[in-house]
Amino acid sequence: MAAMSLVLRAAAAWAARRAGGAGTTGTTGITRITGITGIGPRLPGTLVPVRHSGDHGKRMFIIKATSFYDSRFLSLLRFYIFLTGIPVAVLLTYINVFVGEAELAEIPEGYVPEHWEYYKHPITRWIARYILDPPEKNYEKDMALLHVEAQKCELRMLELEARRLMRHRGDGPWYHYETPDKNLVDNSVKSTPDN
Amino acid sequence: MPEDHDWEAYKVPPTRTPVSERTTSVPNPVNYFQTAFSYVFDTPVTFVRELIERLQTKDKFYYYHQKFRRVPDLSECLEGDYLCYYEAEAQWRRDRMVDQQIVEIVQERLAACKQREGPNQFQNCAKEMELLAQVTKAFQDRYGDLGYHGNARTCLMKQKHRMMEERKAAEEKQ
Repeated sequence: MAAMSLVLRAAAAWAARRAGGAGTTGTTGITRITGITGIGPRLPGTLVPVRHSGDHGKRMFIIKATSFYDSRFLSLLRFYIFLTGIPVAVLLTYINVFVGEAELAEIPEGYVPEHWEYYKHPITRWIARYILDPPEKNYEKDMALLHVEAQKCELRMLELEARRLMRHRGDGPWYHYETPDKNLVDNSVKSTPDN
Repeated sequence: MPEDHDWEAYKVPPTRTPVSERTTSVPNPVNYFQTAFSYVFDTPVTFVRELIERLQTKDKFYYYHQKFRRVPDLSECLEGDYLCYYEAEAQWRRDRMVDQQIVEIVQERLAACKQREGPNQFQNCAKEMELLAQVTKAFQDRYGDLGYHGNARTCLMKQKHRMMEERKAAEEKQ
């Protein structure tokens, strides 16, 4: 019994000396073997080698300003740009690589090219063919507008000339003014010379 | 995509540099630069271009240069015929664009000649210089000071004034 208690007391002293030694060495606790997992009592204020680190160092709670809003904005920006950007990029790559541009050629004899066959890039040709009006149609529309306006102008000039002539000559249907009936005129005022 | 350059337009004349006799055994460093350039830039670009050309569809389609019919000029239009004015104006604008391109091409030819000849440009490029002088003088006479709002009518009036002055000068000479 006494021997057992002596052994136990020696073991306790040895454990305490070990923990005490770790406490006194302070910062060099990392250099010690990280194997003390709860053997023996701990002295207060002892430093413990870094745990759960995997050699990265002590886990720190770094205090910095929030990047939540910034990263959310950038993430949304990327999402909405790529939502249409990637299909457009894929389409353009396909068209430029697999369809390719037109080649310049002389107009064959007796052949009248369509109005979209005057452009080089396939997308321009597609737009000219299916979306825009042919330039001949535009030309004719402009000419029609000019024609209508020219006719209006001519008619207005003629009307002004007719009005001028009728007012001047007085023999046309215009510029007739209603005059009172001559039977209503009272001539008694001027009928005698002594009035 | 490459432009439609017509490389045959300015045919570079054969160089007249004499064949040099190598007097040193030091290799010409220009060759190293040329090989480096061809490895770094030329080969990959040519490779990619040929790859793309192989992938392109075999049925090609063509584009043409539009040919416009000649319509009566502004001097042949009756007065008040606004449709004739419109067509003449469109034709005049097309002609002015063509003339601008002609002047640009002649300028480019002179620049190419100067670049080719280097120090003997003043002797060997005399023809191109003469051609450029004539072409620019003609362009200036016809389209010169009309300004931004120049149209077919102002150009016709300018031509009328030019002809009147020529007639006056011819009369004064007699």
